[in-house]
Amino acid sequence: MDKQDWTSLEEPVFDELLLENAPDTPPDDLISQITPWRKAVNRVLWGCALTALTLNFLLLNYLLPAIGVVLMLLGFRTLRRENRWFRLCYALAALRCALTGYSLIRNTTVFPAAPWEQALGVINLLLLLAVFFALWRGLCTLRETSGLEFSTGSAAALLVWYGILFVLAMLGAVGFLAVIAIVVAYVLILRNLFRLSGVLDEAGYAIQAAPVRLSDRWVVRIFAVILAVGIALGYLFGGSYPMDWAEQNTDTTAEVQEIKDHLASLGFPEDILNDLTDADLLSCAGAKQVVVDVMDHPANRGRRVTEQQGNSFYSDTVYDTKELRITGIAVELPDERESWKIIQHFQWLENPGFYGTESIQLWPASRTDEGWGMRGDFTGQVLYDENGKTYISPYFYLGEETYTSSSVFWGSTQNQDLFAAFSLPDRGENHRGYVSYTIQEMVDGYIVDAWINYTHQMTWWQYPVRSAMETRMVNARNDTGTFLTIQDALQFYPHDGITDLINAE
Amino acid sequence: MEEELLELLRARDSRGADVLLLHYGPLMRYIISPILADPRDREECLSEVVLRVWERSDQFDPQRGSWNAWLTALTRNTALNRARHNRRFPAGAEVDELTPSPAPTPEEALLRQERAEEVRRAVSALSKGEQALFYRKYYYLQSTAQIAAELGLSPRAVEGRLYRLRAHLRKALGGDGHG
Repeated sequence: MDKQDWTSLEEPVFDELLLENAPDTPPDDLISQITPWRKAVNRVLWGCALTALTLNFLLLNYLLPAIGVVLMLLGFRTLRRENRWFRLCYALAALRCALTGYSLIRNTTVFPAAPWEQALGVINLLLLLAVFFALWRGLCTLRETSGLEFSTGSAAALLVWYGILFVLAMLGAVGFLAVIAIVVAYVLILRNLFRLSGVLDEAGYAIQAAPVRLSDRWVVRIFAVILAVGIALGYLFGGSYPMDWAEQNTDTTAEVQEIKDHLASLGFPEDILNDLTDADLLSCAGAKQVVVDVMDHPANRGRRVTEQQGNSFYSDTVYDTKELRITGIAVELPDERESWKIIQHFQWLENPGFYGTESIQLWPASRTDEGWGMRGDFTGQVLYDENGKTYISPYFYLGEETYTSSSVFWGSTQNQDLFAAFSLPDRGENHRGYVSYTIQEMVDGYIVDAWINYTHQMTWWQYPVRSAMETRMVNARNDTGTFLTIQDALQFYPHDGITDLINAE
Repeated sequence: MEEELLELLRARDSRGADVLLLHYGPLMRYIISPILADPRDREECLSEVVLRVWERSDQFDPQRGSWNAWLTALTRNTALNRARHNRRFPAGAEVDELTPSPAPTPEEALLRQERAEEVRRAVSALSKGEQALFYRKYYYLQSTAQIAAELGLSPRAVEGRLYRLRAHLRKALGGDGHG
């Protein structure tokens, strides 16, 4: 047989020659690979291992479980014809794959979770428990059909392990030792399962691998493409709140105009007057005095400057631009008991490139001082200008929120604060807005101390996506990374006819 | 399990056959199934393999390879012989003494040995994945559908891989040591 013979042979003849001249025995490592069972079971087991891993860095807490659910799907896809339990495993794994994919995509949006979405984590865990139950039953069935003696206890142990983990998670109190015990138990269970896989190699040859229309590679590709497209759409369209923008109606009644003129005569900034709703203006009728405090703040990280003075070096952060103007305004109302309408107005002097969500957290005087009490509701709106027209929108959310925050210094604390959540459009200019509320004197002699915490989203990149308001509630010290919080306070001593600003520039 | 089985077989303990069938029956059936289509043929072949293992278990040398490799080779060869026999003498056909012997001439045997060596070299140069595909196709004689199902591929994808495998082998066999 010469070279020409091999290369010019017809396909069937070439095939026949290969068949006739195949080596007597495959290498040992290949013999163990050629089985319908091992690859599928190893995928299932690795899927189990990855699903339980929670490594909270480099997004591994999302990536590894996602890879895990796909591996389990592919593994059970091969085994699905073996018995009805493996078929059930396959169906459940497919459902988990869909739910995991949905969760991963959903994490790129800020839309509030629907009630069923809040239960998604529990549903996913229950599905996982069902998978382990079906896996255990599938192995029992395989044991019966093969006649081989092997223990399926490790699969049942996996079920029990997850059950205990679920209960501990619901109780919410897991100590360090318990965590160590959980991890050790899990490693032992997985080790036994992998051993079981080896024992089952003998029975595994009897398995009929189920044919597939789509190759494993295509299943993975399709899952990855759906995720990529969904995540891209999520960031593109789900990263900001849907605001109800409408052109501002400039018609005004004589009564409102009269109040505007009066407030302007007391020193109320005229441009801000035009941003207030008629209802807010009407509530200021008969105002006795107006206190105004304007402060421009940087909404950037600044730049570090190091100076040498003698032998010493001094480093400082210098802000070249101050993009956000916050104006605190207090209007004394003509009530029998001393009361003030507090208006906290913000205005973007430069467009910082709005990437997602903004939030305002208010700490009214009544929050810390017993001298003041709240009266009435919170009001406000957001505005921007485009092509000579002004557009207005109510806040996406405006109200009181009770939340638990954690801090290195104070630990876990229960808080109740006023929040406004909103998004500003990329288009237009002069983006601005305000929130207002009324305080009433309870005890004489207290200063008016009204704080505003404006949280701005600096970049679109974050995973999972959190709104500025959620971030502010989870961790107040969020001045690095995606969000930047700017604090301002209107503080003054209220006297009859005279006010002393405390923090005036 | 393997040691226990070998002890039973070497001691000519009849339980050895039961243990062999229980633990290695699925493997033997897995090897026989693609080679023999007829279920009755398969069962007869399995019995024949058990008999041969019973007779030749002394020949198994762990230094030369694993028990699974030895059993795989024995099972495959038994099934292939049966398949060849079936092709030459289909059911119902009469065999007379004039039927020529299938044994090759010494020249043919030498040529076959050379070819086998060339193929072995070419296969060992393939990637692990291609080697596994080669053995599935040309050693285990698995159908495209079976290979596809077990590898999680569509039959078309398997055909594509086999096409590339043949091309690699043609190149390797045509280029090394010839011409």
